[in-house]
Amino acid sequence: MNTALAGRMIRLRSRLIEAAGQVRRAYLQIFGIPDYERYLAHVAAHHPGEAPLSRRDFSSRAIDRKYCRAGPKCC
Amino acid sequence: MKKILSILLWGVLAATGASALSAVALDRGESVNAVWLVTAALTVYFIAYRYYSRFIADRVLQLDDTRQTPALRHNDGMDYVPTNKWVLYGHHFAAIAGAGPLVGPVLAAQMGYLPGTLWILVGVVIAGAVQDFIVLFVSVRRDGKSLGEMIKVELGPVPGSLALVGVLAIMIIILAVLSLVVVKALTASPWGVFTIAATMPIALLMGVYMRFIRPGRVGEASLFGVVLLLAALFYGQTVAHDPTLAPLFTMTGPQLAWALIIYGAVASSLPVWLMLAPRDYLSTFLKVGTIIALAIGIYVVAPPLVMPPVTRFIDGSGPVFSGKLFPFLFITIACGSVSGFHALISSGTTPKMIEKESHMRLIGFGGMLTESFVAIMALTAACILQPGIYFAMNAPAAVIGTTAANAALVISNWGFTITPEMITQAAQDIGENSILSRAGGAPTLAVGMAQILGQAIGGKSMEAIWYHFAILFEALFILTAVDAGTRVGRFMIQDMLGHVYRPLGNTQWLPANMIGTGLCVAAWGYFLYQGVVDPLGGINTLWQLFGVGNQMLAGIALILCTSVLVKMKRERYVWVTLVPTAWLLVTTMTAGVQKIFHSDPRIGFLALAHKFSDAATQGTVLAPAKSLAEMQRVAFNNYLDAAICGVFVMLVCAMCVFAIKVCLDALRQAKPTAMETPLVRVQELPI
Repeated sequence: MNTALAGRMIRLRSRLIEAAGQVRRAYLQIFGIPDYERYLAHVAAHHPGEAPLSRRDFSSRAIDRKYCRAGPKCC
Repeated sequence: MKKILSILLWGVLAATGASALSAVALDRGESVNAVWLVTAALTVYFIAYRYYSRFIADRVLQLDDTRQTPALRHNDGMDYVPTNKWVLYGHHFAAIAGAGPLVGPVLAAQMGYLPGTLWILVGVVIAGAVQDFIVLFVSVRRDGKSLGEMIKVELGPVPGSLALVGVLAIMIIILAVLSLVVVKALTASPWGVFTIAATMPIALLMGVYMRFIRPGRVGEASLFGVVLLLAALFYGQTVAHDPTLAPLFTMTGPQLAWALIIYGAVASSLPVWLMLAPRDYLSTFLKVGTIIALAIGIYVVAPPLVMPPVTRFIDGSGPVFSGKLFPFLFITIACGSVSGFHALISSGTTPKMIEKESHMRLIGFGGMLTESFVAIMALTAACILQPGIYFAMNAPAAVIGTTAANAALVISNWGFTITPEMITQAAQDIGENSILSRAGGAPTLAVGMAQILGQAIGGKSMEAIWYHFAILFEALFILTAVDAGTRVGRFMIQDMLGHVYRPLGNTQWLPANMIGTGLCVAAWGYFLYQGVVDPLGGINTLWQLFGVGNQMLAGIALILCTSVLVKMKRERYVWVTLVPTAWLLVTTMTAGVQKIFHSDPRIGFLALAHKFSDAATQGTVLAPAKSLAEMQRVAFNNYLDAAICGVFVMLVCAMCVFAIKVCLDALRQAKPTAMETPLVRVQELPI
C-alpha cells in the first residue's frame, strides 16, 4: 500500500518536473532566448564525440547571430 | 455526432459575430460598448481562420506534411530548429508586433471607430494574413530565403535590387517616424524622460550580468531588469515633483531629437550583447504582458465607445491627418490590416523553425490575426476617450494653439464639446503638465490604457502610473527598434557602397562601419529633426510617407506571391493574392499620386512646396514659418518628400511590369517553373 503510493508520488513528481521543463523551453523559445540545454541535447544526439561549446560561448554566439546580419563572417 | 456539434458551434459563433457587428455598425443613437467591438473582431478572426485559411492551406498551397522543412533538413540546434507550433506562433507574434498596429489605428480614429474597424477586419482577412502566410510558405519551400533573395530568384536580379532599395527607403522613414513618436511623447515630460533614460543603465547592467557574471542566464537578468524598471517608473514621479531634478529631465523637442540621434549612433555601434539583446528581452516581455493585460482589461472594465462611429472628418479636413477616407485611411492603418514589414519577418527567422508545413497556417495566418487584434484594441483605447481630449492630444499646435483655453474653443467649434478645465484635469490625472498636440499615437493610447487599466486596478490615483507604464512600454520597444533598425540599415548601406568601392562593404573594418552607421543615422535623423521642428506636426507628413512605403512593400511581397502561384501552375487560385495586390496597388498609387500632385497644399507635397517657395521669392513670410530661411526649408522638405513618394510609386510600377512578364512566360510553360528546393520526404531523412 505504502510502496504503491510512494511509487505514484515518484511518478507524479517526475511528470511535474518534465512539464516544468516543457514550460521553460516554450518560454525560452517564444522570447527567442538561446536554449543551451536544447543545444547540448542536439549535440549529444547528432554529433556524438564532439565537444559542445561552453554555455558562455554558446550564448554569446547565439546573440551575435540573432542581431548581426552582415555576412558570412558574422552569421 | 462530432460533425453536428461542429456545425452547431460554428453556427453559434457566426451568430454572435453577426450580432456583435450589427451592434457596432448600426448607430442607435446611444454609445456602443467596447466589448461588442472586440467580440465582433474575435469572431471574424475565428471564422476566417477556420474556413479561409484552411482553403488556402489545402487547395491553394496544398501544404504537404511529408515534405521536409528547412528546420528538419538543416537542424543545427541553433538557427534551424523544429519548433512546437504554438511556441513558434508566440515567437512569430512577438517578432511582428511593433509600434505600427498601435499608432495607425489611433490616428485613424479621427474618422470615427467604424471606418478603421472595418478596414482592419476586412484588410487582415483578405490581405494581411494572406500575405504573411504565403510569404512564409514561399520562404519555407526555398530553404528559408529572405524576401530580397526570393524576388531575385523568382523575378530576376533587377527587381531584386529594386526591392532592396525600397526596403532601405522605408527603413529610414520608419526609424524617423518611430523616433518622432518618442519625441512627441517625452517632450516636457520629466517623468517619462527619467524612466526611459533609466532603461539604458538597466540594460547595460543586464548585458554585463549575462555576459560575465552568470553567462547565458537570461531569466535571472530579466527578472532583476523588470524589478529595476518598475522602481524607475515609481521613482520617476518623485523626480517630476522635485524642484532641482525635474528641470534636468525636462527636454524640448529639438533636444530630444538630438538625444535620439546620438543614441541611435552610439547604441548601434556597441556590441549587441551589451545593450540591444538585454533591452530586446525586456521590451518583448513588457510588450506581450501589456497586450494581454489590455485585452483582459477591456473585458473587465467594458468601457463605452465615446467617439462617434463616423465623424465629419471623412471628408478630408481632419486635423490629425488630411486627406479623404479613400485612399488615406488605407495607408494610415497599415500594420493591423496588412504590413509589408511582416514579409521581412515571415522570410527571416520563422521559416527556419517550422517543423511541418501544415503549422504555417497557425503561425502565418493566425499570427497576423493576433496582430490585427492588437490594432483593434489600440483603436478601442483611442475611442473610449472623450473626442475633445482625443483631438486636443492629436491636433497640431498650428491648428489648436498652445493653451488649453484656445484648444477647447477650437475643438468645441468642430462639434466636440470640451472645456479648458477638462483638458487641464486630463493632464493632471496622468501626471503631466500638458496633453496638447502630443500626436503620434503613443500618448493617446497611453491615456486610453491608463483609463482602462486604472479602472481595473488602482483607480484614479493609479492612472498617472499606468500612463507612464504605457509610455515606457512603447518607448522601450521603439528604442530597441531604432537600435536594431540602424544596424540593419547600416549593413544594407555598406552592401550597396561595397559595389562602388570594395573596402566600404567590409563590415569588419571600423571606418567603413562608421561611415555606414553615420549615413544611416544622418538619413533618418534628418527626417526626424525636420518632423520635430515642423509646426504642422511632422507626424502629419511622415506617417503617411511611411504608410505609402509600407503598403508598397506589402504590394511587392504580394506580387511575388502571385508570381509564385502562377509559376506553380496554380493560376486557378491566383485571385487569392491578386485581389489584395490589386487593392493595395489602387490605394497606394492613389495616395502616392495625391500626396505628390494634389492641388490642396494640406495634402499635396508639391502644392505646399510651391506655395512656400512662391511666397518666399516675393519676400512674404507665411505662417507657421517665422523667417524666409524657414520658408525655404519648408519648400525644400516638401520637394524631398515628393521625390521619395515618387520613388515608391515608380518602384511598384516597375515591379508590376517585371512580374507581368514573368507570369506570362510561366503561363506559356506546360510544367511548373517555380524554383523550390527539391522535394525530400520526411522518411528519407538520415536520422
